Amino acid sequence: MTQQMDRPKHIGARIQRFEDTRLLAGTARYIDDIRLPNMLHLRFVRAQMAHAKVLEIDTEALEDIGFPTQVFTGADIGDLSIKAHQDYPEMQYSEQPLLARERVRFVGEAVAAVLADDAYQAEDAAEMVFVDYEPLQVVTTMDQARDPEVPGLFDGWRTNIFVERQMKGGDIAQAKAEAAHVIKRTYTTQRQAGVPMEGRGVAAEYDPASRMLTVWSSTQIPHLVRTYIAEELGLPESRLRVVAPDVGGGFGVKGQVFPEEVLVPWLAMKTGRPVKWVEDRREHLTSSIHARDHSHTLEAYVSEDGRLLGLKADISVDVGAYSTFPFTAAGDPGMAAKVMPGPYDFQHYEATFRALATNKCPIGTYRGVGRPSAVFAQERLMDDIANELGLDPIEFRLKNVVRDFPYTNALGFTYDPGSYAETLEKMRDLLAEDRAAAEASSNDPDKRIGVGLACFVEQTAHGTPDFTRRRVPIETGYIAARVEMTPDGQALVDIGLQNHGQGHETVMAQVAADALGIDPKDVHVRHGDTLTTPYSVGTWGSRGGALGGGAVHVAAGRIADKLKAIAGHLLQSDPQKIVLQNGIAHPEGQPDRHVAVAKLARTALRNVDQLPAGMEPGLEAQYSLDGPNDGTYSNAVHAAVVEIDTKTGKMQLKRFVVVEDCGTILNPLIVDGQVRGGVVQGIGSAMLEHFIYDEDGQPLTVTFADYLMPLATEIPEIELHHIETPTPLTPLGAKGLGEGGAIGPAAAIANAVADALGIEVTKTPLNANALWHLARQAEKNRAE
Amino acid sequence: MIEITLEVNGETRRLSVESRRLLADVLRQEFNLSGVHIGCAHGACGCCTVHLDGKPRLSCLTFAAQCDGKSVRTVESVGGVGADHPLQKAFRSEHGLQCGYCTPGFIMTLIPFVEEMTAERRMPDEEEIREAMSGNICRCTGYQGIVEAVRKVIGENLEEGAQA
Repeated sequence: MTQQMDRPKHIGARIQRFEDTRLLAGTARYIDDIRLPNMLHLRFVRAQMAHAKVLEIDTEALEDIGFPTQVFTGADIGDLSIKAHQDYPEMQYSEQPLLARERVRFVGEAVAAVLADDAYQAEDAAEMVFVDYEPLQVVTTMDQARDPEVPGLFDGWRTNIFVERQMKGGDIAQAKAEAAHVIKRTYTTQRQAGVPMEGRGVAAEYDPASRMLTVWSSTQIPHLVRTYIAEELGLPESRLRVVAPDVGGGFGVKGQVFPEEVLVPWLAMKTGRPVKWVEDRREHLTSSIHARDHSHTLEAYVSEDGRLLGLKADISVDVGAYSTFPFTAAGDPGMAAKVMPGPYDFQHYEATFRALATNKCPIGTYRGVGRPSAVFAQERLMDDIANELGLDPIEFRLKNVVRDFPYTNALGFTYDPGSYAETLEKMRDLLAEDRAAAEASSNDPDKRIGVGLACFVEQTAHGTPDFTRRRVPIETGYIAARVEMTPDGQALVDIGLQNHGQGHETVMAQVAADALGIDPKDVHVRHGDTLTTPYSVGTWGSRGGALGGGAVHVAAGRIADKLKAIAGHLLQSDPQKIVLQNGIAHPEGQPDRHVAVAKLARTALRNVDQLPAGMEPGLEAQYSLDGPNDGTYSNAVHAAVVEIDTKTGKMQLKRFVVVEDCGTILNPLIVDGQVRGGVVQGIGSAMLEHFIYDEDGQPLTVTFADYLMPLATEIPEIELHHIETPTPLTPLGAKGLGEGGAIGPAAAIANAVADALGIEVTKTPLNANALWHLARQAEKNRAE
Repeated sequence: MIEITLEVNGETRRLSVESRRLLADVLRQEFNLSGVHIGCAHGACGCCTVHLDGKPRLSCLTFAAQCDGKSVRTVESVGGVGADHPLQKAFRSEHGLQCGYCTPGFIMTLIPFVEEMTAERRMPDEEEIREAMSGNICRCTGYQGIVEAVRKVIGENLEEGAQA
């Protein structure tokens, strides 16, 4: 693409994070820390039935409550809603009203908004609003959703299928005809979610004097929230400011535009007072978004000598009651269909994917988006094939992985260079002792050791064409950075990302510092505020380092060019030969003939009479970096070693190893943290986390006592190894990194369980109950 | 309303609170201590941990009215705005935090553990360190950086003690 780094000094260094100080000191400012004079507190009345007509909303009890309240319902808000339409001709559309109108479609849907002067009072008042419902037929399973006899969730719907489509490449019939082995399996992954430690929250204030509406939201995508609010409320976007303050985790959950983000500003304008809503944990677990909930039936066509010839996939996702913005109901099943070919070399592929509507919380994005489920299915299948053919699972994968790059897969996606075989070979070496121990334990009556791995590619930082192809309302994926120097020679970086733990304030400073020849400490990185940052899509899709870092590099490079021109002029030297480093500019090889970068900055901004003739004053540059057409493909191999008690199924995760390749590593401290954090979320997906609904659509997992996430005591040290294959497709050679950790663990752990017990594992979570049943099944198989 | 006296981070104040007000809310609203974070409000995540008379306590499961005459310490009192406490420094060097929301709770939970180990003059094993933080949920880091931070600061304390 563009020239890559020469002489990196700070890029690649293990620099401690600048943002840590305020986070450790308790001086960070999260959404609930926004307090405005005369502010109203909002509490929602939320649906207690999964599918029902709203007959009456009775607020009479509020008349005697003893403090002022205001109540708004669906009747007050007209047709304001979340519309997340993907331009597929066969797609059935849903609209999620900001407050339910006439009908509720999942437990937790907002029915009424209650405002009071104090958060406790708002909660008291909301409890006194009585809603009369008439129950409707509830849809809670994928089979019910596909049943044409079951009434549609929305008027005019044919069945409860948002969309069903196909993706294909090559000739699947030919692959089937040539196959010596046909292996067909169904794999399912449960409903779960990102569950950041800080829930959602929104505050809004309208200033009639400046006609400015300011909205604070705990979001990953402030610019997209701004555009949605402007379009839905019919406001000039130039007079709208969206601020994401410090955000206490996102993981994709806060990468949607939520009804509350439109309603709160509407209420602030309507009431003429600032309004704040901060959800509680139950609301978060029932009413934000959920994720996964996939069922994949795969049929693989394999040659006599163990070569994959083709793959047929049927992918269903229970996406809940509404399509979410901006990735839609088709997002998860479409992603699974798109990525299912994975790191393997075969040219015949056909996928049918469908999004099914049920009376559950809507599905949205969560770290990995479709890939953890796809990789679970794909990598379980690879082990099941290897087992059926009597092949070693690593050798079978090595026989089939892509080795020649660039490689164009069956769907026409081109993979940039990666290290698929090298990561597998490295993992084979790392696991040698564990695999021997597993082999030795295979007849142990009490304890079995199992080793499982997952090999995958991850399309990251994809550019606009990828979204255009899918006709998805996100529309684009670029990140913009504006870099500016101040007269003292320090730099400001305003970036369209939102930092909620990824370390952008440090990494972007490293990148700018290298370009400008200054210290990263002298770079102030700002983000998350539409008033100060250039329009961008925000933080999601593993694009922060690759595209955000790339944009900073290019923009800072333009300022560096100007600094060099000024230095050349002042030093009577060729600007092309000027080097910027350690805070000074000097001709290459002549560090003694130097001028301070700070002096150059002051010259450009203040002492402009000393600039070369005709040069424009100022030191500012902006660059918007779109992703590569097909993205850049990171790859990794994850491996789990487990020990299982054959009688009880009790499992201990003894070892978890990652060999990963995200291209150029910008800051190893942060890369390791991102991978480890993702892996532990993936372990939660594999073993613990499960949103359960009963047959009436009532959620049974509404507290942290029911929805279990990994604790420190439940996981081993996560062992990391890196291979760096820089991509030619981004300015710094970096590929996306943030999501990969969460993609492999379910497959690796399930393969380890299958290896230990000698049985096939077809679903997650592998919790204590599931493992007990699997252990029983294994014992029964042995007895037969 | 109930009249109580609270000593918070060295400042003693008399105030009148509703009996149902959570200590977490009173610290956040009356004392402007926004480092007290509420993660679940049902005692399962540890984000809101503060010290009550020197001991870690979940401020979301404690009514302010129960704390009359008691002394409260929050993360703001630990290492100041520079976050200069050795444990905070170790969190920084070992990447023991990402989004930072759970971090004050971890710091307040782990300081007494670090002090106890230092007083006993021993390095806890991995299992003990993880057990010490098993009441706190971190969704970002996978805990490893936190474990390493604890090990590092105890190691420093033991070395310092050995030299003294």
